[in-house]
Amino acid sequence: MPATTHRPVAVFQVHPAILSIAVLGALLLQTFLPLKLPLARLMDFPLLVCIYFALMRRDKVFGITLGTGLGLLQDALSHGYIGIFGIAKAIVGYLAASASTRFELESLVARTVLTGVFVLAHNLCLAVLQHVLLEAPPPFQPAAAASSVLVNVALGLILFQILDRFRRPA
Amino acid sequence: MFDPNSPDLTRPTQALPRDGPDMPAFIRRHRSFFALLVVVAAQILLLSLQITRNNHVRLIRYWAVEAFDPFERSLGGLMDVASTAYRTYRNLWHAEQENQELHIQLVAAQAQIQRLSEQAGETQRLRTLLDFKNQLTFQTVAAEVIASSPAYSPGENSNAIFIDKGSDSGLTTDLAIITPEGVVGKILAIFPHSAQVLLITDPSSGVGVTLAQSRVQGILKGGSNSLCDLRYVMNEEVVSRGEAVVTSGLDQVYPKSLPVGTVANVGEGNIYKTITVRPSVDLNRLEMVLVVLKPAAAEQQALNLPLRSH
Repeated sequence: MPATTHRPVAVFQVHPAILSIAVLGALLLQTFLPLKLPLARLMDFPLLVCIYFALMRRDKVFGITLGTGLGLLQDALSHGYIGIFGIAKAIVGYLAASASTRFELESLVARTVLTGVFVLAHNLCLAVLQHVLLEAPPPFQPAAAASSVLVNVALGLILFQILDRFRRPA
Repeated sequence: MFDPNSPDLTRPTQALPRDGPDMPAFIRRHRSFFALLVVVAAQILLLSLQITRNNHVRLIRYWAVEAFDPFERSLGGLMDVASTAYRTYRNLWHAEQENQELHIQLVAAQAQIQRLSEQAGETQRLRTLLDFKNQLTFQTVAAEVIASSPAYSPGENSNAIFIDKGSDSGLTTDLAIITPEGVVGKILAIFPHSAQVLLITDPSSGVGVTLAQSRVQGILKGGSNSLCDLRYVMNEEVVSRGEAVVTSGLDQVYPKSLPVGTVANVGEGNIYKTITVRPSVDLNRLEMVLVVLKPAAAEQQALNLPLRSH
């Protein structure tokens, strides 16, 4: 179970090329995979990349920047308004970076719970933004939101293990 | 392999560049949170430029209008209130001014109405007096009552009055004073420009009278309570209440058949009846009277006054 700790926390970093490849790969998979796999419509690769790197770097500003960048790129590649994903992922990046200084992240349980929480927070942000900003927001579907959490948590566990191979202590 | 005892882990995270000395400590402590707010606000602004509402109105314009609308309404309302208050004050001030002017005009108009009413009343009285004068077969001169002699007892009506005609108008003593209603009295004393008249209600006055129906003659003397006493009427005579009393002309002062009063009360005395007569003239409200001129006085009057065209 995750536990708060006051001992010095580990900070990791990755090579910038790895970060760029991860960002581009997440965006490509997000745009390409739903065409082939219906289940991929519930997946959010850029979100998982944002969560991972924000947790790893433990830097709130970095988390905000990464989330904003990923979100805006995702907005640009979608047919919606530019800024909705950007806001949601900026908030998630901030929250992930904030949580990283309080929890032991090497535990699988901690990663699972935190990922689920952040995915849920991301989906709620999207729903709120659409409800507030759009004149005719789409209806909120709890089942789809729950499914999205489960799918992304499972995907995140796999993705995090892969990305762990490329990180090194800061 | 991850080494928790690695000296690299004990190294504190790289400190962020120190902020300027002017940045408050609160903002410095929560810099990342404020950075998040800035980023989110910038993206909301970006969204507001894209999203449209209400027939393609951009969301940013929609928000701006909605944000300033309450202030504009409040300012407009405040201006309306101030304008209405000023307009109301000015109208009230004008209304007050107009009210004062109208009040002054009203007072003046009321005074004029009163004056005109008095003039109309006097005109009517004079016309009545003139009509009466024209009906008489003897000459008269009109006079105005100007004063009354003080009574001896407080509260009692005076039995003598003053008129504004005197010897300069050809008047003498013992001239009869009458009105269209009846006999008033006779001149007691004459002065150059006025004359004192003794009313018939004075005990010292005496008028030769006749009862209009029974034709009984007697002497009318002044009594009490503004009434007169008819004396020297035998008990055998028949006198009824309400019977008219007129002048007999036997006293050589009052012309004959002028109304004097009516019988108010009749009683039996030892020899003579006790008859009370109420004068036909209201002697307490005399204003204009006629002075009956005797032939000598009439001649004198004709010599003194300017000739009238017929």
